[in-house]
Amino acid sequence: MKAVLHIIEYDFRNFFRYKWWLAGLISMNLADLLIMAVVYNKIVNPDLFLGQLKSYFNFFAPGVTVLGLFASAFMIGREVNMEVRREIHHYMLSLPITRLELAVGRLLAGGLRGMMYMTPLLLITFLFLGFPSPSQLLIILGALMLLATGISGLSIAAAVSITSFEKFVTARGLIYYVLFFCSSIFYPSSLIRTLGQDGLIPQPIVVLAELNPLSSGADLIRSFLIGTPIFTLEMIRNLAIFSMIFSTTSTLAYVKIIERK
Amino acid sequence: MAVIRTIDLTKRFKDLVAVDHLNLDIEEGEIFGLLGPNGAGKTTTVLMLSTVIKPTGGTAVVGEYDIGKSPDDVRKLIGICFQEPKLLWVSTPWDVLNWHAKVCGLSTQERKKRVKQVLEDVNMWEHRRKNVHGLSGGMRKRVEIAKILIQRPKIAFIDEPTAQIDVVGKHKIWNMIQELREEGTTIILATNELHEADILSDRVGIMHKGKLLICDTPKTLKDSILGGDLVEIRLEKEATQDAFDELKSFHEVVDVVTVKPTNLKVHLNKVEEIVPKIMELFMKRNLPVTSISMSEPSLDDVFVHYTGLTIEEAQRKSP
Repeated sequence: MKAVLHIIEYDFRNFFRYKWWLAGLISMNLADLLIMAVVYNKIVNPDLFLGQLKSYFNFFAPGVTVLGLFASAFMIGREVNMEVRREIHHYMLSLPITRLELAVGRLLAGGLRGMMYMTPLLLITFLFLGFPSPSQLLIILGALMLLATGISGLSIAAAVSITSFEKFVTARGLIYYVLFFCSSIFYPSSLIRTLGQDGLIPQPIVVLAELNPLSSGADLIRSFLIGTPIFTLEMIRNLAIFSMIFSTTSTLAYVKIIERK
Repeated sequence: MAVIRTIDLTKRFKDLVAVDHLNLDIEEGEIFGLLGPNGAGKTTTVLMLSTVIKPTGGTAVVGEYDIGKSPDDVRKLIGICFQEPKLLWVSTPWDVLNWHAKVCGLSTQERKKRVKQVLEDVNMWEHRRKNVHGLSGGMRKRVEIAKILIQRPKIAFIDEPTAQIDVVGKHKIWNMIQELREEGTTIILATNELHEADILSDRVGIMHKGKLLICDTPKTLKDSILGGDLVEIRLEKEATQDAFDELKSFHEVVDVVTVKPTNLKVHLNKVEEIVPKIMELFMKRNLPVTSISMSEPSLDDVFVHYTGLTIEEAQRKSP
């Protein structure tokens, strides 16, 4: 346990050392929230899908929170990939800690970094949309931690499987765009389903948006703050499955692949 | 008692055999020099013994643990100073060393004291808050060495400790390595600097193309070169044929070359044992010696003897 905490400390320290990267990320998320949401608020036809929502801003703010969580939790992969390319992982592998402690430490560090980065965005969302009850807050935080751990696992698995920086950046971009745009972050799930039924969106994208953990995360926050969509256990189940799959994959990949490099 | 024993240790990277059936015993408390050009297999051996990479054949026992069966136990005994400093560019020397000490289990009080002491010893105290990115190659190497000096492991693998370090710094680091050994650490020193291996190592293993060619004390290795020692003698008078023949009759003497009638070059073995006999011979024959100079073979000569190449030539031909 102590070793896991040391690894988390290592990754947290490094996270705050990439100041410019963080500044860019914060600017991007704030721009999303304070510019994009406000602009969209003016151009989106409220009759089309907003229904009981007062504004697009109210709909989008939980989505931006999840986007921030995704981008910051995914950052661990960039560092792991850089370590592999510069053979710094040899140092990590030589330390007096077990491979499992090392892998779990990195996985949790990635997730916790995401949670820490997301906290101010979540608070801004609460400020504008209202605070949830303590039990709802616990569910939101628990679910987002599952999401963050899964994202961290996904990025670590990608980072150790793809050593080339160019390929890694391409894969990262692909994952970002698929998960961002095939989700309910920008558009409500109900609208995606309707458009799918009308044949305006290909069915695989509808399915992907339904299963996408980012959709589950954003919808879960919305369900408690704005009352739509209705909270279902399926949201938590989706996040738990995603987290379990990528936590296991990343742990195995980190331990097995990294030793060969 | 052997603290490290390798048994047919082998590492293959596709078609390249980086380490080829290495059999080696390293005694507790010694400085063992693993000598060879770049690409000889030294670093790969160090990485396998420290459980960073897995062998493709054979095994090794480090301490009392098999590297394949109990790698976690092996890592509790060892520390590594890598050839290329393994530091994230955004870190600072203080962060790197403080965290390393923490992971290696040093108490808070001991950690702070030791990190400060070692940073001062390697002349990095005033640079402790700079990003690694802003440090020179030599400074980064000093931070890398500092890790092991703080950790003081039972077994230390030190790979090219003085690469990129200036002459004054080299001597300081050599002293630190010797002090580390005096504190009880067994040291495996991988180097391609023959002089470094010669002055630091109790025993030296010469590696070439993944194979261990020979392993012994530097002195024995030098003595193993037949006629490797050289004695130059200047006489007041010309050497007589009898004196010349008697000189050649010593079994340590391999060859005698007459540069001038009063100046002889003698190729021999075990120079320190034979020189008194030579002096006695010339005095007995009333041939006063005006000067005598001796030189022993270096590990360069040993390397050439066993590989047919100088270390520079071997380096150029390495894969």
